[in-house]
Amino acid sequence: MKRLLSLLVLMLPAVAVAEAGVDPDMRLSVKPVLCITDAKTPACDIAFLVAWESDLLGYYCLFNDLAESPLRCWNEERSGRLSDERTVTDSFRYWMTSDDFEHKLALVAVEVLRMDTDDRRRKRRTRHVWDIN
Amino acid sequence: MRKCLLQLALLAYAATAGADNEAIAQPEARESNWRLGAALGYGLRSNPLVQSDDIPIIVDLDIAWFGDRFFFDNGDIGLTFVSNDYVTASLVGRFNSDRVFFGKTETRFVNIDLAGAPLSENAEFKVPDRDYAIELGVELLSDGDWGHLQMSAFSDVSDTHNGYEIYINYGYGWRDQRWYIEPSFGLSYKSADLNNYYWGVRDAEAGLVSPSYTAEDGINSHARLMFSYQINKNWNLSLVAEFEILNDEAAASPLVEDENLLGFFAGFGFRFR
Repeated sequence: MKRLLSLLVLMLPAVAVAEAGVDPDMRLSVKPVLCITDAKTPACDIAFLVAWESDLLGYYCLFNDLAESPLRCWNEERSGRLSDERTVTDSFRYWMTSDDFEHKLALVAVEVLRMDTDDRRRKRRTRHVWDIN
Repeated sequence: MRKCLLQLALLAYAATAGADNEAIAQPEARESNWRLGAALGYGLRSNPLVQSDDIPIIVDLDIAWFGDRFFFDNGDIGLTFVSNDYVTASLVGRFNSDRVFFGKTETRFVNIDLAGAPLSENAEFKVPDRDYAIELGVELLSDGDWGHLQMSAFSDVSDTHNGYEIYINYGYGWRDQRWYIEPSFGLSYKSADLNNYYWGVRDAEAGLVSPSYTAEDGINSHARLMFSYQINKNWNLSLVAEFEILNDEAAASPLVEDENLLGFFAGFGFRFR
């Protein structure tokens, strides 16, 4: 039982970082990677802090799903940071490329999670003993 | 049990990992009819009956399906006949919840009766058995900026207790990104037939240890507080505490040891999305 609980706890960070890293030389991090909306807060208005670091000097560009052109490119750099202020309602991704723009070197997904529902029945309380969640 | 938990963990991992690189940028899909989840942790619900054990909660499953009209929600079956901006009304079938306490009782030899008076000889005593009742009723749900309200009236259709229950619950939730807190409270009126079936002692059940007892109608009250922290898309950490006070008629039953029911649960929850 203890081993299983440990496994579950260990899985949590593993799940959180599973989105990173296509090329092992490139590391990309985004904060935050989860934004929660509901009826009172229907969109996320957040400054995403994007940071990258590579083992190799090079020409690198940062993209996301919300624009076709790169957000920013860096020439002959090993690392870079960007604060990207956005209002989003759906999940999207940031990724780094080299100068070919096609090959994704690293990718991070930002999840926008809708916690409200239009169906009231999904919020009903049942009175069974196991209804504690 | 261990095998079940391991399968749950692997299933959760596979579902989460597989979702990472695909369809992330797709527009929000229509809400699935299914709501599937599980929480793993530790919790307890106290048992008000004498000679009984508390009810442990290790795994809390959430299995529900919601169609346009019909729904299944953790054992409840419903038919929604009104749904508008103000209210959702459904016809609901369910099992009565009072019966759960009677599944965790023990047989013991005792030398005092349930009022504490000494007996002339040791006597065997077991809390009498009670059946599940199938109940049918109407449930009204409403919500808005002011919170959410649930009202229902259920009547026995299985010729078990032949009574009815009227229930009301109000809750209000606050969210700050990953954090969520929701207090709720309410009342539950239990008719005399319902109350007496579960908490009364029939003449045939009375003996040296317990006198016969007839319960009249009464009102239970309850309050609940839930904290939740959303770890990622699928996982959350939940802390829930619930307090219920049995109505005076049930609390006065010789079968009842404690009129206060306490429940709590703390654990990790996983929801398929």
